Amino acid sequence: MDMAKYRALFLSESRDHLNNLVRQVVGLEQDPTNHDGIDAAFREAHSIKGMAASMGFQRTADLAHHLEDQMDRFRQGGSVPASGVDHLLEGVDLLEGLLDDIADEKPEREIKGYLAGENPVVPEEEEASPTLPVSEEKEVPVCHLMLHLAPEAEAPSARLLLLARELQRLGELTKTEPGLEALERGEGEFRLEAWLRTELSPSRLEELLSSFIDVSHVRVNLGDTSTENREEEARTVRVRTDLLDRFIRLTGELITNRTLLQDAQKNQDWLQVRDGLNQLSRMVTDLHYHVLQVRMMPLQAVTDRLPRIVRELARKQGKQIRLSLEGEELELDRGILEELADPLMHLLRNSVDHGIAQQGEIHLRAWREKDQALIEIADNGRGIDPEAVREKAIENGLLTAVQARNLRDIDLLSYICHPGFSTAGEVTETSGRGVGMDVVKTAVDRLGGVLHIESELGVGTRFVLKLPLSVAIVRVLLVECKGHLMAMPITRVLRTLELERDQLQSSGKQLMIPLEDELIPLLSLRKALQMPARPMNSPVPIVLAEIRGRKVGLVVDRLAGQQEVFVQPVPYPIQQLEGTSGCTILGDGRVVFLLDLQGLFLPASTPVVTSED
Amino acid sequence: MTVRILIVDDALFMRTLLRDIFEKQGWEVVGEAENGQEAVEQYRRLKPDLVTMDIVMPEKNGLDALWEITSEYPEAAVVMCSALGQDNLVLQAVQYGARDFIVKPVDEDRLLEVVHRILEAPEAER
Repeated sequence: MDMAKYRALFLSESRDHLNNLVRQVVGLEQDPTNHDGIDAAFREAHSIKGMAASMGFQRTADLAHHLEDQMDRFRQGGSVPASGVDHLLEGVDLLEGLLDDIADEKPEREIKGYLAGENPVVPEEEEASPTLPVSEEKEVPVCHLMLHLAPEAEAPSARLLLLARELQRLGELTKTEPGLEALERGEGEFRLEAWLRTELSPSRLEELLSSFIDVSHVRVNLGDTSTENREEEARTVRVRTDLLDRFIRLTGELITNRTLLQDAQKNQDWLQVRDGLNQLSRMVTDLHYHVLQVRMMPLQAVTDRLPRIVRELARKQGKQIRLSLEGEELELDRGILEELADPLMHLLRNSVDHGIAQQGEIHLRAWREKDQALIEIADNGRGIDPEAVREKAIENGLLTAVQARNLRDIDLLSYICHPGFSTAGEVTETSGRGVGMDVVKTAVDRLGGVLHIESELGVGTRFVLKLPLSVAIVRVLLVECKGHLMAMPITRVLRTLELERDQLQSSGKQLMIPLEDELIPLLSLRKALQMPARPMNSPVPIVLAEIRGRKVGLVVDRLAGQQEVFVQPVPYPIQQLEGTSGCTILGDGRVVFLLDLQGLFLPASTPVVTSED
Repeated sequence: MTVRILIVDDALFMRTLLRDIFEKQGWEVVGEAENGQEAVEQYRRLKPDLVTMDIVMPEKNGLDALWEITSEYPEAAVVMCSALGQDNLVLQAVQYGARDFIVKPVDEDRLLEVVHRILEAPEAER
């Protein structure tokens, strides 16, 4: 088995989690009682722990476990003390060092000193790491620096330019990324990579640089190119040569097509224009398909090792569990696969730890339905006890007793995805505390997918992840409100319908729609977007969607059809707007936002449709 | 050691606010200028240790004043005070030799951090 493949995936993912962790911890320094921040930091540490344990990197897993414990303690205490932030950041630095060791295929460094807690700073020996250039002439060593600005920093390019100027005072600045000229053009973002020839030690440099204004995080390593090359590697993919040949051929065809269209225009030959456009549309579809192919990888890349992991996990607990896989040849976008590795692991662990008592089977099945990928993980274990979920939800203040009683079992299950929720009494290394489900739900949401949970006591539990095949190009439903077009990923839409006003029912003031045998509350998109209310159209256009596990009907002004769009991130500074997850440009040049329904309809201010609307 | 400061801003409110912050530190505000032209003239006369410079002002704007001051006195320590969203002006100012910048509304701690850092920097040029 090719472990290098997993190592690279593990490292890149762990580094992402680590960066997020740093961000959260730094945020907590400013706002020590921020519960969401504590939860998020907890989850990041938890994710690293899970991955490191399954890769067999014991020290990394132990350290992450320690950080997770710390966060858990702070969560219970309700806040993070200043000394806690220092301790956490020291731990994060150490964790970073461990990841470097793993990347360099060296044994993991010692963490006992840190865990003992007295003098937890990385010991001296780190500075004498083997990467130190050994040279007779005592050449001044080059340090590689990675500086991150706080997200709230103003004028980041100007700030980075000032930082670069400071660096020039500390030594010989041999290179920066982005380069100084790019910074002067204002092309800096919130990070600066630099190579500095200096007498100062990496730890001294870190100390100096982290005190600079707006700098949120600094990493300094001795040695010049190793990191650069490694990061370069992570950004490259292998492309089959026949695929490359295909691109060249398509480019040729596109050039011919352009000539054809130019001629047609000159001759005003509309028939030829039509033929040309038909050709063009075929070629674009072809190109789209093949470009996506480059990013596609079989699910196998993340499922290969799962059967062994499950068996080992089960054996540790004295259980006999078999994992069978089906449909792992299904191809998914790399971006999605990378996000998926972690949630899959959590789901399996849940099944091993809590689902199956002694002996059983877990079945992982993947298949494709139109432009969605479905992944199902089903076990034949004891199932989730809805009564236990009810009790726990009430105990944790997520539901009132009345709400809990009125919720149907199937709706109730979504509460196991709530941060900090768990029905398991004990805490084990790999799951427990309900954190896992939180990670799963968050990851699936982020990918624009949907998570379904079904469970029957004594029969088993079944999780279904419904995911888009690709993150960049998605099918969306366009809706209109007050003349504005907006889009929602089709994966989030259960169905659309148009109902006459008199088909709506009211429950108190709130309007509901009767559908099959349930009543579904109506929410107003206009209200959520703080647009002026106006009488509803008749028939009322409604989008049926699922928000935080509950079915809701969204009232819009108009349903404007489906379309395949290329989603781009929302640029600074409007990315701060709650409720958008991306934007796209339509054929006519209009910019349309992708709605993030979870963010838009926060539980505190649900914009219900009342009988007065 | 007392620090001699020149405040440049067209709003009396801002000048007063900055003056209060500096005087609380026991520093001396040696001059106030309402526009870039006055700023250049006062700088030549007073040679302050530090200048806080608004960007958008009548007569002569802060960027032009900065340019004139730093071309004549490369050691001048000028901190730009910009409004939110003037990233490009700030970037320009840094290239003209501004030592640092703060963004309004002025946060006292941050302003003092910026000023201390400039005053304590072991500047070769000074």
